[in-house]
Amino acid sequence: MKSKKKSMGLSKRRNLIGWIFLLPAVLLICGMSFYPMIRALVLSFRTGVGANMKFTGFYNYIRMLQDKVFIQALFNNFFYLIIQVPIMLLLALVLASMLNDKDVKFKGLFRTAIFLPCATSLVSYAIIFRALFALDGFINTMLIKIGILDVPINWLGNAQTAKTVIILALIWRWTGYNMVFYLAGLQNIEYSIYEAAEIDGASPFHQFGRITIPLLKPMILLTAIMSTNGTLQLFDESVNLTNGGPANATITMSHYIYKMSFEYSPNFGYSTAMSFVVLILVAVLAFIQMKTGDKR
Amino acid sequence: MKKVLSILLVLVMAASLAACVTGKNGNSGNTVDNNSADNGGTANAPANTSEGGNTLTVWCWDPAFNIYAMQEAEKVYQKTNPDFKLNIIETPWEDVQTKITTAASSGDLSTLPDIFLMQDNAFQKNYINFPEVFTDLTDSGIDYDSFAQAKAAYSVIDGKNYGVPFDNGTGIDCLRTDILKQAGYTIDDFKDITWDRYIEIGKDVLAKTKMPLLSSQAGSPDLIMEMLQSCGQSLFKEDGSPNIVENQALTEAINVYTTMVKEGILVEVNDWDQYVGTFTNGTVAGTINGCWILASIQTAADQSGKWALTNVPSLKDISNATNYTNNGGSSWGISTNCKNVDLAVDFLSKTFAGSVEFYETILPSSGALATYLPAGKSEVYAQPSEFFGGQKVYADITEFAGKVPSNITGVYYYEARDAVGTAMTNVVSGADLESELKNAEDTVKFQMGQ
Amino acid sequence: MRKLKRFLNYFVLTAVSLLSVFPLYWMAVSATNKSVDVIAGRLIPGTYLLENWKGLLQAQNVGSALINSFRNSIMLTLAGLLICSIAGYGFEIYHDKGKDTVMSILLLAMMVPFVATLIPLFQMFSKIGLLNSTLGFILPTISTPFLIMLFRQSARSFPHDIIEAARIDGLSEFGIFLRIFIPTMRSTYAAAMTIVFMNAWNNYLWPKVIMLSNEKITMPMMVANLLTGYVIDYGMVMLGVLVCTVPTVVIFSLLQKSFAEGITGAVK
Repeated sequence: MKSKKKSMGLSKRRNLIGWIFLLPAVLLICGMSFYPMIRALVLSFRTGVGANMKFTGFYNYIRMLQDKVFIQALFNNFFYLIIQVPIMLLLALVLASMLNDKDVKFKGLFRTAIFLPCATSLVSYAIIFRALFALDGFINTMLIKIGILDVPINWLGNAQTAKTVIILALIWRWTGYNMVFYLAGLQNIEYSIYEAAEIDGASPFHQFGRITIPLLKPMILLTAIMSTNGTLQLFDESVNLTNGGPANATITMSHYIYKMSFEYSPNFGYSTAMSFVVLILVAVLAFIQMKTGDKR
Repeated sequence: MKKVLSILLVLVMAASLAACVTGKNGNSGNTVDNNSADNGGTANAPANTSEGGNTLTVWCWDPAFNIYAMQEAEKVYQKTNPDFKLNIIETPWEDVQTKITTAASSGDLSTLPDIFLMQDNAFQKNYINFPEVFTDLTDSGIDYDSFAQAKAAYSVIDGKNYGVPFDNGTGIDCLRTDILKQAGYTIDDFKDITWDRYIEIGKDVLAKTKMPLLSSQAGSPDLIMEMLQSCGQSLFKEDGSPNIVENQALTEAINVYTTMVKEGILVEVNDWDQYVGTFTNGTVAGTINGCWILASIQTAADQSGKWALTNVPSLKDISNATNYTNNGGSSWGISTNCKNVDLAVDFLSKTFAGSVEFYETILPSSGALATYLPAGKSEVYAQPSEFFGGQKVYADITEFAGKVPSNITGVYYYEARDAVGTAMTNVVSGADLESELKNAEDTVKFQMGQ
Repeated sequence: MRKLKRFLNYFVLTAVSLLSVFPLYWMAVSATNKSVDVIAGRLIPGTYLLENWKGLLQAQNVGSALINSFRNSIMLTLAGLLICSIAGYGFEIYHDKGKDTVMSILLLAMMVPFVATLIPLFQMFSKIGLLNSTLGFILPTISTPFLIMLFRQSARSFPHDIIEAARIDGLSEFGIFLRIFIPTMRSTYAAAMTIVFMNAWNNYLWPKVIMLSNEKITMPMMVANLLTGYVIDYGMVMLGVLVCTVPTVVIFSLLQKSFAEGITGAVK
């Protein structure tokens, strides 16, 4: 019934409305993030302090390559990323699909309990983790009692084990957080699909692999990008659990950047340059994830 | 369903309304809170300092200690200046640092207070980077001769004074006399000794009582830094260049530390809470630290009467080695944002830098030990401490304070400290000392060469 | 088979829940103990709660910190949800190449460590006179790529035929968003509300730079104040931390039902 011309006009109008919907959010991000980011980018080509800064081109970026602590931090960040993110996301998926099961009772209780770690204040959780993994702490005592260990391990005093503690802490803290997104995403999947699959004799593993994961793909992409970003900008755990130690074995890029800005003699040119390296790394990884995971 | 929908709708509408309201009124409401009637030009930021008037704004952080001291100082000063008022803003040290760095780096000093408290170790770093923040107090009339010289030196840059010394970080060796007794020692056996002798006694005490003498936070070079200062040394030379590889005192200090860890005389723990736990739970026989550690020791009420303190061990065969050192402490600075410098100087010089009575008031309830020497002669300082078995601890510490050698903190204090901490950790776990020190020096040099 | 599965479910969920709750339990217990006992790792409730509470009230203005944190966090949550959900909706429902590109560019905004933009942002806020204000607190984080993307990804499962049907019924585009999208997506809204509230509540670095008076401090700033002295009273700290944690937990437990309920009513 509609003429071709009119419907073109309508879709143009809708497209315009779409842009209007985006406008407030986009303007805010431009003003509150991009503007300061450009200012920071300019700063990253300078050295010096306060009013006495001078332009030095790519000096800060080249300097990074010789900075042993920065390279160590970069390595640490990637180590956390590769080990921790997949384990955490898989665990969150499993827990979410368990909680989505109609037969499970006390769901509210379980959901709240599993979410608790990310709401628990950093202060208390850092104290507890350090105490648990102390030389005479609960973990060592248990492992010796069971017979797995003969002598206690100095968990936080050894480079590899300290990294392990950080990864355990991260998984503990953020699994429930990611589970929340999956739970919300699962609500958009008709439960009858699972019932039908069950009647067809599909095993729980089969259901998980064939139904849950594909249908949750948009959410998995979101959490993957967010976790990648979060891990490469990891700060809290490095500062509060290990203070970067022993001997910088667990320090992260963000922790080093913070030190460079506020604890050491401030060098903002250099610390913003390092920040932009973080940006590039996250952007590349996010781009790859979008390319592989964002097909419609 | 409809209920949820309507609730959400109302929330959304409230949100947009609220956003509008704050957008319009947030600012003016805020200016009222800050008593700054100044609305014109760029000076729209909340003025933190008083303009003229009789009020001073102060940043400091510990309610039981420096905030309390400031409040008492306010009372003392009000006796002669009844209209005087302080606006004390509780700001943790890290935040003081972040706020000063942020304000100075963005070239906007209007947010700074009149007076701020600064860690002594950070004083030179901040002055060199942001000289525009500090008011020169050299000729202000504050009597610097009445402070322990090593202490005042922290806030002296190029012969000029920028701070008023406050709390004391004199190094002390605190020991459990009941445990020493079991092993056949007294506190006097620890007076004026060397670290070698300390290790000797330590082995004996460990063998007889199974108790280590010391504990420390793994990776934190506090003890090393204390040993260095006891010889008047630091990680830097006079000219500001790093002094790590060829620093004999440093080599010796790390050797002493490593030996103590290997022999089990010193237990390393992972963090500060566990460190405090080692002596409050009674798993070590003593501790060496700045004298402010007294407050933590005394939280274990059941150990009252079982402690004593003396001066710290000295490094053997190092020139200028003494039994006196320092760890931590802080000083007051006056910012250039202060509109009433005369008032601020007068206030500080009649309290922190001039009133024995003031120090007598704050000592008993806060244990705030002064570096103001005349206060040390006061009767209050000569009171025996029951917790320390009747020892006149405050008089003793004040006496030690006068003998602490001064050293150079340097602009890159925290960089060097971290680098040496890393070296120390690696050496303790078996790495070669010489090459680790070389690495540390390279790291510091790298960070200095921006 | 079914029984085994159920047993396994309960076993795993119970184990994970216990692990998750333990530090919170420890925190609550520690809030009732003396500092010395907290350091010693005491796991049984003590009798020191009242003293810790008195000490906390004396040391800090808990009431004012709570009010500030609530005001800041609620404002930020509401403003953020409104602005970001409409944007996420716009990105997905009217999606084209141009908007996809814009989305990718927006994502860049979250990839720089906050420390790098802190100083330019502070300079800006100080100039406009937004220090010490709620608006100053919320502005930088109202619109976040994370939240926009959350709504964009959720909108992907929002059935397009409903939109067409609504258009035929004569609803305006904004009307569709308001009357149909929001109620349908309430599980996403509930999840987003929890997360945004929590992030706002725990935000520390930004308020500590812009809040310059005692009256403006937030809960995390209050907790930081408790940790600065030469002597730290851990019993009091744990009580402060507990007070700081409870609001997020309460909000979560109130909302968790909504984000785990299936789609009902509006869609079918």
